[in-house]
Amino acid sequence: MTVRALLGLAIGNAVVLTTGACLLWGVRGLRSWVELARLAGLAYMIGVVALGVALSIELVLGVPFGTPTIALTCLGLIVAGLVLGRRLGRGRVPLRGGGSDGLGLVAAAYGALVVVYAEALFRAGRLAALSNYDGWAFWIPKAQAIYFRGGLDERFFRDLPNPTYPPLVPSLEAAAFHAMGSPDVVTLHVQFWFFLTGFVAAVAGLLAPRVHTALLWPVLLLVLVAPRVVARALEPQADFLLDYLFALAALLVALWLVERQTWTLCTASLFLAGAMLTKREGQLLAACVVLGALAASWGTRRAAWPRIVLAGGCALALALPWRIWFTARNLSGELPTSGFLGLFRHLDRPWPAVESVVRILVDFELWLLVLPLATIAVLLAFAGGARVLPTYAALVYGLSAAGFVWVLWSFTELELPFVQDEGVNPIVRLCNSLVMLSAGLVPLLLDAAWRGGDGTERQR
Amino acid sequence: MVAWLAVTVALGLVYFVRAVDRLGDEASKNAAANYDDRAFGGGNSLGVDKQALTEARGWIPDSASYRLLVPTDAADLRNFVRYFLMPRRPDPDASWVLCYGCDLAGLGSRLEVVWKNDAGITVGRLSG
Repeated sequence: MTVRALLGLAIGNAVVLTTGACLLWGVRGLRSWVELARLAGLAYMIGVVALGVALSIELVLGVPFGTPTIALTCLGLIVAGLVLGRRLGRGRVPLRGGGSDGLGLVAAAYGALVVVYAEALFRAGRLAALSNYDGWAFWIPKAQAIYFRGGLDERFFRDLPNPTYPPLVPSLEAAAFHAMGSPDVVTLHVQFWFFLTGFVAAVAGLLAPRVHTALLWPVLLLVLVAPRVVARALEPQADFLLDYLFALAALLVALWLVERQTWTLCTASLFLAGAMLTKREGQLLAACVVLGALAASWGTRRAAWPRIVLAGGCALALALPWRIWFTARNLSGELPTSGFLGLFRHLDRPWPAVESVVRILVDFELWLLVLPLATIAVLLAFAGGARVLPTYAALVYGLSAAGFVWVLWSFTELELPFVQDEGVNPIVRLCNSLVMLSAGLVPLLLDAAWRGGDGTERQR
Repeated sequence: MVAWLAVTVALGLVYFVRAVDRLGDEASKNAAANYDDRAFGGGNSLGVDKQALTEARGWIPDSASYRLLVPTDAADLRNFVRYFLMPRRPDPDASWVLCYGCDLAGLGSRLEVVWKNDAGITVGRLSG
């Protein structure tokens, strides 16, 4: 709750941004500093996910956690980015040049609204108490344990609810504690403000040169002002970060499907790994992205499928150490108690599960009309003549929703019909991922509808 | 497409105003909260005994472990105390004891009580 904590957090996030910028330069290259400014949000989110994945793996390997480890990890990632860039022949970044198209009137006006929103959100989160149940019941205690004991405390984790939930968010929270100089759970809300701001900037930066501002910014603003996003985006738990990582991975895969630039698939793979290391649902969502991409690239499967499978395989490989860690220690709770096939003993559940998921997906009080409008955007893109993007989007949305039904159906301890308060309702949390996904995919779909095709001819 | 955009823009602007209003109210409420309200956070809605937990924090050293004795149906309380007393480590064999409405008779005469209140909450240490 001090200026020192805020300053430490700001410096820590600046280091993460620098880390991500070096990785982005390495994997993609940058045409100018203006372009870097446009992609700063993406660079920051790459820094977040790269640091989170690296710290998670280090924790599993038993590397002592502390400020030196965090600093050395960032340094290692920066060097990796620079070495990769040199090997791929990336040039110096000039001050001005490509990618500096300036800001139009619509973008400037909406940008101002987003800044006002972000400022209001910052003030609300700055002194917020840690009130949400999952936060104090297990997310923050895990982060505190990593901060105080310098590693994964198996005995302590075993006693907590959901011991198999992955360590990416607790490790980033523990890193934030180090940056703040103390385990300040009040100021920690500001870290989640950085995540949200980074996500919005990443989506805007990625889509700005491709999608007309009149199609991009209204969608972004609608997602931001959805009541549940306003109320819960800064809660110090994993749900929203999972949604950002999933949404960015899905968006990057969508861009790869139409542009075939290698860096987008490489970066998407990292975000998929991050999603899988954030919550167990991340595995379900990552599978939906990979399956959607495979189906949408059917026409070019000889070239596309090996790359998609490789990207998914790399993501899985990065997430594997955590699975090995908790499996070796017999920590349980990852799967339904009745197993994968036990759901067929509960055939009374699928229809109420479908009803519960659909009811939540279209709940105006939670996310206004974001998901109905996303559905219409898919149809508009099909009607406009696009095929790859709407097929991919329909599959990611559809498979994810089917996955949520599976969760309700197979986790028989969840009562149906499912009418739990939204604050503790896991299906509401799952559905939130599709709302954040819409921030990136819907503008792309509208652009496809507007232009009358997927835009595969435009290489950016 | 135009109708779609019109709905999106209108909804976005109306709810932008509501969101900023709501966040302003939230900021004011959070700013008006005192240190205890912020420190206890979710414990306020659980109705935890703030003084008892503050005393437990004061008496039990950071590096020590403690045994938490609470009714078996008080899982939320157990979770909250574990969070609130970090970095102290919960351990069923620890010498420090936080008894939250428990039956002290089971501990015998070895318990040296360092703090207790009328609500039946005791902080103590087992000797021997």
